[in-house]
Amino acid sequence: MTAIDPVTMARDSHVPTHKTKKTDWLGLGIVAVLGLVVVVPLVVVAIWAFAEVWRYPSLLPQEFGLRFWNATLARPDVWGAMFLSIRLSVTVTLLSAIICLPAAYAFARLDFPGRNVLFLSFLASHAFPKFGLLVAIAGIFLNLGLISTFWGVVLIQLVGTLMMMIWIPVAAFQNVDRAMEEAARDAGAGPLRVFWSVSLPQAAPTIFAAVLLSFVGTFYETEGAWLIGAPEIRTMPVLMITFINNQIVVQYGAVLSVLLWIPSFIALMFTRRLVGSASFAKGFGV
Amino acid sequence: MTTLASPDRSIRKGGQAKRHGRGLTGLLLVSAPVMLLGWLIIYPIFNAIGRTLFVKGDAGVRFGFDSYHQFLTDGYSLSNLWLTLWVTAVCAALLMATCLPLALYLRFAKSRVAALVQGLALFPMFVPSVILAYALIRTIGPNGAVDLVLNAVGLPKINSPYLTPWGPIIGLVWDNIPLTTLMLVAGLGGVSDNAVEAARDAGARHFALLRHIILPQIGNAMLVVLSFTVLSIFSAFTLPYVLGPASPEMMGPFMQRTFSQVLDTRMAVTQAVITFIICAGFGAFYVRSIAKNREARR
Repeated sequence: MTAIDPVTMARDSHVPTHKTKKTDWLGLGIVAVLGLVVVVPLVVVAIWAFAEVWRYPSLLPQEFGLRFWNATLARPDVWGAMFLSIRLSVTVTLLSAIICLPAAYAFARLDFPGRNVLFLSFLASHAFPKFGLLVAIAGIFLNLGLISTFWGVVLIQLVGTLMMMIWIPVAAFQNVDRAMEEAARDAGAGPLRVFWSVSLPQAAPTIFAAVLLSFVGTFYETEGAWLIGAPEIRTMPVLMITFINNQIVVQYGAVLSVLLWIPSFIALMFTRRLVGSASFAKGFGV
Repeated sequence: MTTLASPDRSIRKGGQAKRHGRGLTGLLLVSAPVMLLGWLIIYPIFNAIGRTLFVKGDAGVRFGFDSYHQFLTDGYSLSNLWLTLWVTAVCAALLMATCLPLALYLRFAKSRVAALVQGLALFPMFVPSVILAYALIRTIGPNGAVDLVLNAVGLPKINSPYLTPWGPIIGLVWDNIPLTTLMLVAGLGGVSDNAVEAARDAGARHFALLRHIILPQIGNAMLVVLSFTVLSIFSAFTLPYVLGPASPEMMGPFMQRTFSQVLDTRMAVTQAVITFIICAGFGAFYVRSIAKNREARR
């Protein structure tokens, strides 16, 4: 089986089948339904974020304004959670890159005993229901005094990034052009120099996408932070859940949602190609 | 990006001594994540099983199934488990019903609209569950956007799924659409255009085409999707916690409450092991499928 990019599949086919100029009504119908289901809930949140007064049963808010943005951004708990979330995500992503990227290179390019079994065991770690695993880890952390600490949450979230930070970069390192490396070696470059000037630049865009996905994934990670971090470590998603549950002011949640979604939007811009590729799905065993 | 893992050929050419050195380097480079994997995934699983089977009593360590017995005789725990199984079944059915047509469309469509469909189908992947939960409350919750629109056109309000099992079902299906569609599209990549063309020339209708040409080819992909859905719904926490009913509750929130509020670590871990056991078959299938794929690509 070869990897087929669905985007290119959809755009140009090698076998000319039913090439008609007719409007793709089926496609437009799907777009309409998906648009309604996928986009409308988010639009509603965006409207709420800028609504000052919105009483039932008016279709649109009676008053628009930025009052609740000021109110939300004036809350110290919001800033506390924001800085904590950023600090956690940066720490986890850096640690993850330091330990996973060399491993990914080794899995992709070096031959060593147990290579396949070890690589498979990383992919297989997805085969356990994650929340049950978190509870099992929490049981251990309780004895180690890591519950409700920064480093406890770092460790839990680090485990969550392992798979993505190994499996995507492995593919990146395998796709490096060998001929270019050999040419550089023939020209007298040492192995480190070849790695730094030839292999790494080629693999870099995909690795960057993996790092970005890990950062964003960690930023939004809720389960581990909630289970291991409570009550001391309150990250943005955890704060958001408390806002939803306590229903203090509807707009707080809306403003936070819009703010929180920004990192995700950046990730969307940069990683769409990677996520759309078939090899991404192949990592899940299809 | 192409396929994963195929051993480096240039190494094979190297001498025995060089290979040995590289082997050590390789092991050294992978040691840190492997140790983390061992400490935070493999060890906790065995620790959980041990913790629930062996109790430290006055008379030393005692072996017994009492915590499992307690779970299996407790009506509330069992109804939580049933709820989770039911939600899983409904979600799996709904996901197949939505994503299979989507994937078929994406695989065979030739128009420009297909790129837009793909974008929309992948979009939920970039919406974190917390934001989704909040958005769904504002949209289909009591007096939400749907109620506003219905009211404006003179129709009665909807029976809000918020705080019923349908709340998490809607959220989980929404959340899982992108990966399910991606996996099915990848599975459909194995169906060749030529086979479809030939069958069409032979007069096969849409349904016959689906049943005899396409479905046999993507059976494996569909089973992987099913396993993945079961695994992800058994580990769902945020959506059931925010959108779901308080009693009975799904396994995710139930485990969290047992651990953090009831402070019964042993019972929480017992519940976790029970989710492991239920998911074991699906997990094993999933691992086997990954392994087989890797074999096939070598």
